[in-house]
Amino acid sequence: MVNTQLLELISASIIVSALYIQGQAYFKPAIYAQAIQSALISVLAFYLGFALSLIDYVILGIIIVVLRSFIITYFLFRGLKAKPGIRESTRGVASELVVNLAFFFLAVFILYYFVLGRIGLTTEAGTATLTIFSFILFFQGLFLIVTRRSTVAQIIGFIEEENSIVLFGVLTVPIPFLIEVSIFLDVLGLVVITSLLTLQKLEHTRLEELMG
Amino acid sequence: MRHTLLEILLLTIPIIANIGFFNTKLLKALSLASSSLELIISLLLYFEIPVKGIFLIDNVTISFLLIVSSIYLLSVVYSLKYIEAEEIKGIVSEKLYYVLLNFFVASMIFSMIINDYGLMWVGVELTTVASALLITTEYSEISLEAAWRYIIIVSAGVTVALFSIILIYYEYHTLTVTSILSSQPKDSLIIKLAVALALIGFGTKVGVFPMYTWLPDAHSESPSPISALFSASLLPVAMYVLYRVYEIYPLTDLFVALPTLSIITASIILFKQWHIKRMFAYSTIENMNLALIGLATGQVFGAVILLLAHAFGKAAAFYSSGVIIKTFNEKKIDEINGLYRMRITSSSLLLSSMAVTGTPPFGTFVGEFLILKTLVQSGFIIEFILLVIFLALIFISINYNVSRMIFSRPKYDRLPKEPRLMSLVSLISSIVSLGIGIISIIWGVIG
Repeated sequence: MVNTQLLELISASIIVSALYIQGQAYFKPAIYAQAIQSALISVLAFYLGFALSLIDYVILGIIIVVLRSFIITYFLFRGLKAKPGIRESTRGVASELVVNLAFFFLAVFILYYFVLGRIGLTTEAGTATLTIFSFILFFQGLFLIVTRRSTVAQIIGFIEEENSIVLFGVLTVPIPFLIEVSIFLDVLGLVVITSLLTLQKLEHTRLEELMG
Repeated sequence: MRHTLLEILLLTIPIIANIGFFNTKLLKALSLASSSLELIISLLLYFEIPVKGIFLIDNVTISFLLIVSSIYLLSVVYSLKYIEAEEIKGIVSEKLYYVLLNFFVASMIFSMIINDYGLMWVGVELTTVASALLITTEYSEISLEAAWRYIIIVSAGVTVALFSIILIYYEYHTLTVTSILSSQPKDSLIIKLAVALALIGFGTKVGVFPMYTWLPDAHSESPSPISALFSASLLPVAMYVLYRVYEIYPLTDLFVALPTLSIITASIILFKQWHIKRMFAYSTIENMNLALIGLATGQVFGAVILLLAHAFGKAAAFYSSGVIIKTFNEKKIDEINGLYRMRITSSSLLLSSMAVTGTPPFGTFVGEFLILKTLVQSGFIIEFILLVIFLALIFISINYNVSRMIFSRPKYDRLPKEPRLMSLVSLISSIVSLGIGIISIIWGVIG
């Protein structure tokens, strides 16, 4: 028997972690928050694994916490050249967060009434509404990428997008294990490469040669 | 068994070539051998189709395989001269360049021949992992930015594609391509949503509006052999995967509307291009979207001819651009002039620009003709009219710029020296594109 309220609580906490990242200008707390976000998704996988007696979910939870909470966090700090105290050179983080919240509620409204209510997608817990959290997390990741210029913030946005997919898979239907693991390794590969690029370029600005 | 052996060889040969990592000369020789073997195996597989099991190879797959393996061979030969150790200063060394190139090709082949939508997705994501650093080979702030945009935009798009894959699994409880395509079609909103999301997701890598913004950046800042592989191979591979998803539930209207919009926007931006490689990158968007329209309207043969001829034509365009940029150290169209004195390069540039703009009797013309004809027959009259107008605009923009670069009076008296191997590879590639068109017309495919 799955406790839907518990699933909703964990999913809501994941969204709160995403909003916290959006409101951060310092790299260190944002990186830790993404580690916590990934850990929360693994908690969700563990809970569903035990509640539904599915070993795949439990292994998935272990993989998430190891790869996302530890290894990716390690690479992100490494990409910062061991200077985790530095701040992104950006202004208006608070006002961005306000815009973000407006964006957030609009997205929830549209998704809830115009998409999820119509397609008949049900979760492992038997409800359709839970999947909305994964879509919200996806848009939150996109918003972070669009609003920030630093490499680290954009990587975190990308990881949030990937986390949203894991959340969606865990809540609706887990795809075959081999594919799941391959996806995790792919994402890890991308994060390693992006960390290499972080060492070369920490901020992204408009370049005339790349316009048009 | 024999089938599986050939496919496993096809997948592993580029990876095995990387055992020469400790010695640059050996690595180059192995890469050359690997690319030649890949082309031979692809040709052998043509006589074995259809293959169904762990791998899926049919008439459509084999055409895409031939594209990838041919351009792989041409790009390796071209790289032998183009990539020189003393010019590489950044993250990617000469050795790493060949290692990543081989992995990149292996990941493309994996995406095409695997009989599983989930693993196809994994393959497409792997192509990003393998190719992102290749963009930074000619190290500069601009190439780093281009690589970054490529990773972020493409990864966001491919994440959307994963939503699509999960929805397909939710509905069918399998991801095996042959099982899904042979089962009873499902008319459900979830499947429609999955196919639409695939268009946005995989479409990002194909060059479909609005997510194609990474494409001109990555193409213009990559070394020319990689630009050629991106344009001629990577995008068709992503299109192949998209087509396999499209086959589950054909949303024809959407798959015609969005590519038409892509061609319209690309042609408007292309009109004002000042950078030689960005100009050809926008032309790639045009050709890819036209091929996608062909696949969506059932004109698979036309789409394949277009992709095949475009692959050789566009590879030649990027190869000639590479020669020009190396010789003049200049990327601006306005600053490049008097190319007629470089006989081989100017010939290949002229032929390739005619090829990519669909000039008769090039293969691209045959493909475009068949696709546009089918579009009218399918009742997409407004789309047809719009396409004819904007294809003409693209034709004029590219050929005008190329003519200016070739036939204008040279600013310098010094006679530029042509790198013979690179120029010849470029010329051969453009002649193949012409050959495809002539053979198709002789066979009477447009009659």
